[in-house]
Amino acid sequence: MVKKSKGRQKIEMVKMKNENNLQVTFSKRRNGLFKKASELCTLCGVEIVVIVFSPGKKVFSFGHPNVDCVIDRFTNINPPHPRQHTDTQLSEAHRNAIIQDLNSHLTQVTEEFEIEKKRAEDLKKKRKNSYISDNWWEEPIKELNLSQLTEFKCGLEKLRKTVTTEASKNFQTIVPRHNFDGGSSNNATFGICDDHAGNIDTNLDLYNHQRMVATNTFACNHHNMMVPYHITTPFGNIGNGNIIEGFAAEYNQNPNHLCFKKEHISGCDHHSVHPPRFGHGYY
Amino acid sequence: MTRQKVKMAFIENESSRKATYKKRKRGILKKANELATLCGVPVGVIIDSPYDLTPEVWPSREDMDNVLSQLQRLPVMDRTKKMLNQESYLKQSISKASETCKKLTKENKELEMKEVMFDCLSGKTSPSRIEKNDLGACGNVIEQYLRNLNRRIEILSKNDGASSSSVHVVASTSVAMPIVELGSSSTAFCDMIRQQQIQSNMNQNVGSLDLNQQQW
Repeated sequence: MVKKSKGRQKIEMVKMKNENNLQVTFSKRRNGLFKKASELCTLCGVEIVVIVFSPGKKVFSFGHPNVDCVIDRFTNINPPHPRQHTDTQLSEAHRNAIIQDLNSHLTQVTEEFEIEKKRAEDLKKKRKNSYISDNWWEEPIKELNLSQLTEFKCGLEKLRKTVTTEASKNFQTIVPRHNFDGGSSNNATFGICDDHAGNIDTNLDLYNHQRMVATNTFACNHHNMMVPYHITTPFGNIGNGNIIEGFAAEYNQNPNHLCFKKEHISGCDHHSVHPPRFGHGYY
Repeated sequence: MTRQKVKMAFIENESSRKATYKKRKRGILKKANELATLCGVPVGVIIDSPYDLTPEVWPSREDMDNVLSQLQRLPVMDRTKKMLNQESYLKQSISKASETCKKLTKENKELEMKEVMFDCLSGKTSPSRIEKNDLGACGNVIEQYLRNLNRRIEILSKNDGASSSSVHVVASTSVAMPIVELGSSSTAFCDMIRQQQIQSNMNQNVGSLDLNQQQW
């Protein structure tokens, strides 16, 4: 098996020649040094200060409990006052508790990251293994010819319709309230997601969603496809379709707020009044 | 010897704490030395512990004094801008790690949805079987793919000028697309392709028959 890169290599302990590499090395190693210092403090409960000057003469420092305190002690400027002993103890305990929390949090996030990395690896392996297939559409787009592309596009557009339909089914269980501005034009209601950042009425969402789904289903980004002149939804007609805006569902972790982003699709000014003609191939 | 994961908390056991301290102290000083040498920059470390009588100073008291005076010469703003303690350092690390993790999660989701998309096209699954929460992400991936397809089509169309007659027989477009109902995409795409393959193979065979006849 041929390795792609050389991997970790031993480097000479002399000043680096390449300036860019030097800067990158500096950043990485500085961070690593601070990490080690942080770990030492946590594990062994010692006081430490690390001072580093960058190639650009900027100073970076890390200190526990803090930089100034340790430096002062070292240079004997401010010997600790015995009177402050109890105060320091309490605040120290409080501080340590906070630090312990932060450490646990960091460990947790790091573990999550490791899990995601493994997932990424598995997915890439899966793609590699299923590479040897008859499905030409799974090849990279650059390797497809024009007729394949057009065909793929058609199939994918159909798939999109079905997916959108499935998505709309999720919302049909909730009955919308009729306290919205029903007779408005395209733009007004579709802008609702932007206007009400955060406090979106879920029912209004449902209304918008259904209208958007209806529009999206008929949205075209291929001038050969016929688009109906009038789109009728359960909630009334939507404009006269001079410019149809397509919508992309925004991936949102909270399924209750399926928000749609506006997306202007170019080349889609249609002045035709033709009814939809499904089942017709492309021209 | 496999490494065991160390819990990031104060080591209760005194002797292991002392042992860890010795090892890690050595390690930190080594790293500090490497940083200073490789990058040719001033570095200073002070470690004050109950295990050493006097604080450990690196590289030397003199060098440390130099570093400190260099530090003092800087204006307060510059001195404290990148100053960290445990709390601020950990918070910084957490937010960085969270961000990277979020990015990776998003990427993974997209990869996963791409597989789902391909599986739908090849008939292995159908949109009705997709997890409800994934439908949005899947839609996004499809949208993005379509955008890329369109871009590519535009480029190729420009290059070819007038209609391009494809040499590839597999994806022949002379066959009219069968009418597909909205709910049946699971069998639509790949079957359509196969139908066309069969069609074009038939056409080819017919053609070759003609040729044979002509030869005679």
